[in-house]
This record gives sequence, structure tokens and C-alpha cells, in this order.
Amino acid sequence: MALMPKRVKWRKYQRGRNRGNATRGNYVAFGDYGIQSLENGRIDGRQIEAGRVAATHFLHRVGKVFIRIFPHRSVSAKPLETRMGKGKGEPDHWEAKIKPGTILYEVGGVPEDIAKRALLRVAHKMPVRCRLVTRHRS
Amino acid sequence: MTEEAIVLKAERKQQAGTRVSRKLRLAGRVPAIIYGHQQEPESVHLDYHDLALELQHHHRLLAVELAGQRQQVLVKEVQYDHLGDKIIHVDLARVRLDERVEVTVALELKGTPAGAAEGGVLEQLLGEIELECLVTSIPESIRVPVAAMQVGDLLTAGQLVLPEGAKLITDPETPVVSVSVMAAEEVAEEAVEGEAEPEVIARKAEEDESAKTED
Repeated sequence: MALMPKRVKWRKYQRGRNRGNATRGNYVAFGDYGIQSLENGRIDGRQIEAGRVAATHFLHRVGKVFIRIFPHRSVSAKPLETRMGKGKGEPDHWEAKIKPGTILYEVGGVPEDIAKRALLRVAHKMPVRCRLVTRHRS
Repeated sequence: MTEEAIVLKAERKQQAGTRVSRKLRLAGRVPAIIYGHQQEPESVHLDYHDLALELQHHHRLLAVELAGQRQQVLVKEVQYDHLGDKIIHVDLARVRLDERVEVTVALELKGTPAGAAEGGVLEQLLGEIELECLVTSIPESIRVPVAAMQVGDLLTAGQLVLPEGAKLITDPETPVVSVSVMAAEEVAEEAVEGEAEPEVIARKAEEDESAKTED
């Protein structure tokens, strides 16, 4: 099931801009290895879920996968074959805004090579360029 | 262990501000501050390459030469850029060589636990501990041998072997590493997409207001 908020202040959001770099959530805090976004972009609930499934299936439910992002914002869309106008479309899906440096997923409790292979599979599901990072700086 | 005499040449920062710091970084310098020992804090800048090399070698105690005077400093905090790659600022605290200081030291797990053969998974619950030790004998890391650990074993901070003269500040009961059989993650139930919609807080407030006006 795709992630979405339980309660929101407003049903619909304006698109806005997504500029600048991540100043929070930009280091591995829970697991041992993580993937970090190198671009800004938007990741929707289904993509986040796809990443989680890719990691947990590969790890055979060993270790722990941490999802560090959440789709807080709704994206509206108009139905197919509808004329323009008549107001803003209804909420279609939910997405997270991503900035360069944001840690997307973390993995803990598994050996390094396994964690790297799992996170590579996750990275392929992401719509932004990612790189692998570790908890401790070299 | 650590610490040899490494001299970093520092220069005073003439002006404060983001633009000045940015220009310094572009010129291969790192803005820094030196404080402590009840003296005035000094804004300085250091050579990026030299500093990065020292930090890469896990040196905590540095000797900084400022205006012809050499002083011993301890690296208190390092700020990195958004990707965690480049050093953008460093905090240095003045210390005497006979001083005892409180530092955070990383834990390094050594070996494969015996319980791994029985399906146990090694889980590191604490990445670093706080110690009080002599400034000249700050350990690079604390090695934690885990080879003898069986499934269900738990190692606490109080059980760690610390270097001579070091005193543990972290709560000794804090769990550090465990070997356990991971429970299978619960699979979320599939729901029909588009069916659920979040509760809207603003709408609820509007409804309350309209109810009040009706009264």
C-alpha cells in the first residue's frame, strides 16, 4: 500500500519550487548504510513502496530497512477526457519533495556487501540519482 | 593510539559573514573558531588540505600556529556540506596537554559472532560512547570483540574494555551490541488504491465554525 498521511491540514497543495540542499535528514542516523539523493526531485508513495519492497525481498526479511522520507504533499490531477477549467483536479497521489543530500533509505543489521546490493536495487527504483553512504565517515 | 605534534598554520579572519567565508572556501581555506580557557574566541581560517588530512587520520589533538604563537587545540565539532563530503567549518577548543577532556569515541566491532551460524544477526545499537580521558591519550576507536557472542547475548557499555586512565561517561547499562534472531517484518495489508483519503483538519475547523453560527 502506498504511503500517505493520516491527517492533513489541506487536501490540495500548490506545486511550488524545490530548490536548495538538504540541511536536515542528510546523514545516516539509524542503520549502517544508506542511499543519498544527489538531485532534487519528487518521489511519490508508490515509488517509496517499490523501494521498500525491493530491499525487504532482497534481504529476505533479515536486518532492518528504514525509510527516511514520507509523502506529505498531495498532487492533484484532472480525470481523462475532461475539458479544462471547472477548478483544480482532485488529489491523485502523494509525494515527498527531495533535495540533494537527503537520505532516502537506510539498512542495518546486515553485512556490508549485502546492504550495498540491497540498496543498489532500491536506487534503481528511485526517480533521482543516488549514491551509497555509510554511517561512519572515512 | 594518537597524537603527534601536527602544526596547522592559521590566519585571523579579518571580516565576518557568509560571503567572506564562501570566498575563503573557494580559495582552499576552512573557516574555524578557536575558543576556551577563558580567553576571547578567535575567528580564523586554516588550509583545507592539511585539515582534511588530519581529520582523515582521526587526529583530535592539533597544534595550531596563529600569529607566531603555537597552541594546542582539540577538534570539538566539524561541519560538513549537505552531502557530507566537504568540511565547511571547524570548532577548536584550547586545551592543555595535562587536561582531562570529555570526548565521543566510535565503537568498532571485531569478528563474526558465534551465534551467526545459528541464524543470529549482529545488531549494533550504539555507534559511539562518551569517555573522559587525558587529552594526549584519546583513543581513535574502541574495539569491541564480538566473536564469542551467542544468540540472545547483549553487551552493554559497562562491559567494554576501555584504555587505561579512561572513564566511561555513557550510562554503563546502555546496550551496545546484541545478537538476536530477527523477527519477520509484518507485511502491510493491501488496500484498494484511491479508496482512503486523509482526514482534513482545516475542514473540521470550518464545520465547527459553521455549527457555532447555526446555534
